[in-house]
Amino acid sequence: MIYLDNAATTFPKPKNVITAINNCLKEYSANPGRSGHYLARRAAESVYNCRKKLAEFFGATEENVIFTQSCTASINTVLKGFLKQGDHVICSALEHNAVIRPLNKLKGLGIEYDVARVFPENTESTVKSFEALIKDNTKLIVCTHSSNVCGVILPIKELGQLAKMHKIKFAVDAAQTAGVIDINVTEMNIDYLCIAPHKGLYAPMGIGVLITADDSLDTLIEGGTGSLSKLPYQPDYIPDKFESGTLNLPGIVGISAGIDFVNSIGLNKIYKTEIDHVSHIFSSLCNNSQIKLYTNSIRMGYYSPVISFNIRNKSSDTVGEELGRYGIAVRTGLHCAPLAHQFLGTSNTGTVRVCPSVFTKRGEIDNLINRIKILSKT
Amino acid sequence: MEINIINSGTITYAIRGRDLLRNNGYKAYMFRNTGDSALGCGYSISTNCGIDEIHSLFEKFKIKYISVLPGDSV
Repeated sequence: MIYLDNAATTFPKPKNVITAINNCLKEYSANPGRSGHYLARRAAESVYNCRKKLAEFFGATEENVIFTQSCTASINTVLKGFLKQGDHVICSALEHNAVIRPLNKLKGLGIEYDVARVFPENTESTVKSFEALIKDNTKLIVCTHSSNVCGVILPIKELGQLAKMHKIKFAVDAAQTAGVIDINVTEMNIDYLCIAPHKGLYAPMGIGVLITADDSLDTLIEGGTGSLSKLPYQPDYIPDKFESGTLNLPGIVGISAGIDFVNSIGLNKIYKTEIDHVSHIFSSLCNNSQIKLYTNSIRMGYYSPVISFNIRNKSSDTVGEELGRYGIAVRTGLHCAPLAHQFLGTSNTGTVRVCPSVFTKRGEIDNLINRIKILSKT
Repeated sequence: MEINIINSGTITYAIRGRDLLRNNGYKAYMFRNTGDSALGCGYSISTNCGIDEIHSLFEKFKIKYISVLPGDSV
């Protein structure tokens, strides 16, 4: 199979990730941070080491690394833990449902939000679009780093500066970019960084990360933390405050190994390899009158390695099925991002989405391109 | 030699504190505490670092802890 659905989750996972998880399950998969015996301490040390690696990778400190169930859970923790009745939030026109759905739930509780227009490849206009929506009660800017539908990158460094200037908190959904594009929470003034390790960090599914120094966020879940047990209340400091229940140790070990894998190749090389694939798809298809693309170019720095297309007179689902028959895995439809499809004008059609990983070979991309061209003639 | 005990509510800060002490040339070992403190379960660090220096280092590097207790002299 030619797997090009890496925006959903990366596949395959690297050998070192599989080995690390296997070893953990076989040798030391005790509950970390609960007991005092050797296995529990070893498990706890591996959790701590992962925090350290994540902190280094994203420019944070280890106690500010919180493990959640998913990037969506991280985003919900931020939005529902931070916002209060009467607050105003600004998000972008490319948000995933992981941002929009909780915001709409919060709307019912007296929190309002506005959607800022995005201008692909135009940092200044995009930032001005956000700035124009700032009001006296604006408390948070939340946005995706890059669209999971069309790959448009938002200027989060400049948006972080804007937020800081206006004393507004800044949350970034880095589901598509963590492990592909360099992110530094300190340099970019990011107050809350939400990560999906099972994508660009090549970790297994079922684990998320939130990086923040804000221990004043309200909790969504309270419970046992293996600490201060006599207290009937949740600890009030991170990360324990947000880590009730047993941690996903195999997932965390997978993140550690995934970071090692990414570091062994280098972010720049990963990004360049993947964007070259997407750029090749774009340049091979952009002059085909039967194929509709949704960006004007694919330029490094302005796009993450994701591309959407449609074939005229064919539904995206049909194209996906046809590609599947030839062993090519893509995702079709609305990609849990109706707002992004509204932006692209594809709300009624959806798109076919292609996303390579570091394992994707040029021959596989050529195979995809040829198959698309054949389909466009039928 | 004086051995002091730092009580930490959380393993994350206990490991961080242990590593900080070791990086500053002190011996430091983490262990699960007995749960007989007022706050219940947690992790503690035994170290040959002096009490004043512990407070100074931990506050400088913003490492949370519950208490520092004098241990045994060995």
